[in-house]
Amino acid sequence: MAERALFQGKIVAKFGDDINTDYIIPAYLLQEAWGKKYFAEHAFERYDPSFVSRCRANALKDSIVVAGKNFGCGSSREQAVYAIQYNDVSAVVAESFPDIFYRNCISNGFPALRVESTKDLEIGDSLLIDLQSLSVKNERSNAELRIYMTFEERATLLSGGRLGKVKERLRERLLATS
Amino acid sequence: MNSGYSNNNDGRTIVEKIVSRACGRKVSPGDVVDALPIDKLYFNEVIAPPAISNFQDDFNQVFEEAFGNIEQGLVQKKKNQKRVFDPSRVRFIPDHTVPSCSVMVSKGISLMKDFAKEHGIMMYKEGDGIEHTLVTEEGFVLPGEVVVATDSHTDTVGAVGALGFGVGTTEAEYALALGEIYDFVVPETFLFRADGTFKNGCCAKDLILYILGKMTESGCSRKVAEYTGDAIKKMDMDGRFTICNMSVEMGARSGIVNPDRVTEDFLKEVAMRHPELFSEIQDTLTKIPKISSDENASYVDELRIDVSELTPQIALPHSPANVKPASEVNDEVNVVFIGSCTNGRYNDLLQAARILKGKRIHPDVNTIVIPASRAVYNQAMSSGLLQIFAEAGANIESSNCGPCFGKHMGVLSSGDRCVSTSNRNYRGRMGSPDAKIYLASPATAAACAIEGKVTDPTKYLPS
Ligand code: SF4
Repeated sequence: MAERALFQGKIVAKFGDDINTDYIIPAYLLQEAWGKKYFAEHAFERYDPSFVSRCRANALKDSIVVAGKNFGCGSSREQAVYAIQYNDVSAVVAESFPDIFYRNCISNGFPALRVESTKDLEIGDSLLIDLQSLSVKNERSNAELRIYMTFEERATLLSGGRLGKVKERLRERLLATS
Repeated sequence: MNSGYSNNNDGRTIVEKIVSRACGRKVSPGDVVDALPIDKLYFNEVIAPPAISNFQDDFNQVFEEAFGNIEQGLVQKKKNQKRVFDPSRVRFIPDHTVPSCSVMVSKGISLMKDFAKEHGIMMYKEGDGIEHTLVTEEGFVLPGEVVVATDSHTDTVGAVGALGFGVGTTEAEYALALGEIYDFVVPETFLFRADGTFKNGCCAKDLILYILGKMTESGCSRKVAEYTGDAIKKMDMDGRFTICNMSVEMGARSGIVNPDRVTEDFLKEVAMRHPELFSEIQDTLTKIPKISSDENASYVDELRIDVSELTPQIALPHSPANVKPASEVNDEVNVVFIGSCTNGRYNDLLQAARILKGKRIHPDVNTIVIPASRAVYNQAMSSGLLQIFAEAGANIESSNCGPCFGKHMGVLSSGDRCVSTSNRNYRGRMGSPDAKIYLASPATAAACAIEGKVTDPTKYLPS
């Protein structure tokens, strides 16, 4: 599943610093499903109870989540990525991400986009995101932000995660050691 | 740090040495390793079920093709074992909500059991212990190893000088097949140098809480926290586990302590309990000097702490970095939890028992004590600690994560105010988002249980 390199979306949530994965998806739900979609309806249920309905109201368009520093800190639960992603959210734009959450996003082909500052982004703004030129354009203010991302991360993101590469590697490994 | 052992002129940290050894070339912070081979991998029952289910969906066809073509001769069992990169380097540990607290949890544990049996993976029983405690206690994780597990507190294993990383479901699933993690960025190291002698009533937990208060929740982001100094060198293993455990709370990629005499003694005890590990541990002991940080290693930053100035600390709602001296807080408390991968080891229980001995817990305080492993439980039973807790009026549960995970054994209601020896007091972490959680040492938690309010434990200790 290759991801889109260019897309437009509307900001449905703006959070401050240090939003942890317990806020995104509480622990008591984690063991109740093995799939990914289940977690969407519970996203932010204890922290921002109207999050899911705001995403649904924007269902015809892509939704974007904006945050300050250290978005997704805390537990390694990948269900936090699914909870956001499966609400038709197409990117999270934040000032920084801790490693585990960031890597979980990339593994799922979900754009976690690090920019210098999210101060000027507001709920309701429409953003144009270009993963080729690594830029975010705010269509309200015309301001442009640069996305900080390595070459490898972008390549993984655009191919929807690492599964293809990993399968290929596994195939080669099995044939070589047999 | 172990200078003199290094034959390098340019000093390197333990992190650089471990990653270089693992990937077979000399690396420096910032380098990207395409595929970092890992030494050990472990799963809890929260993430193993989806990881196994995805593993089967994603890779079964690849296995069928590869084995179908070339290995018709192999018996089924052997074929299955080849599906996991190396079953002897994988462990399954059901620990978060055991004995099972829901039908889905039970189904997940059954899936793990079946998969473990089929693929030759060792799986522990419910109640054997919390994953991060068990893997070192059992000698599964040894100094100098690269360790990956499906939990952010994998940093705990840094206490024995291993480099532990928490990962999500997908990375763990891929690691299960290939024993690698991909596009790994070699982290920088932040040095924490703690000197001096702890005051009575103060311990490792107070130090790490104090550090968190200084560093904030993102202050060590993307870096590994290395702990050194006299106070660390004199500290027992249980204290080092506590400190490494909470590194992730300041955003650190991991935490680590250079292995030394204390580590060696710990490993020797492991070898006595597990004779089958004797030669492996003996071999590890000879390597210890080589993996430790060089004295002239360079660090991205450094924080010095004089622990003699510390008083008992407490983290207030709703952040582990919202830290104050316990003596400055007077809030009422009606739940106390002593346990978790942070503070559920024998010495932790001992600190709490010293204060609770011969006392009654406040009538309004529900106190839950959970030893972090079966071995700790049994030791606490034979030495009389469990009796002290029981007589004081505490509930003692079998080993598991308990209320720290917020799903069973003491889920908090809206008005609850809980002092916990665990590592996270995020809003809603242990149940209702309106509950208040405070984080403290086992000694402070015990004093709070007696008084029904936040209390500096010093007055309960002989001076
Ligand atoms: S005790 Fe708490 S922090 Fe530790 S592994 Fe269990 S749930 Fe996680």
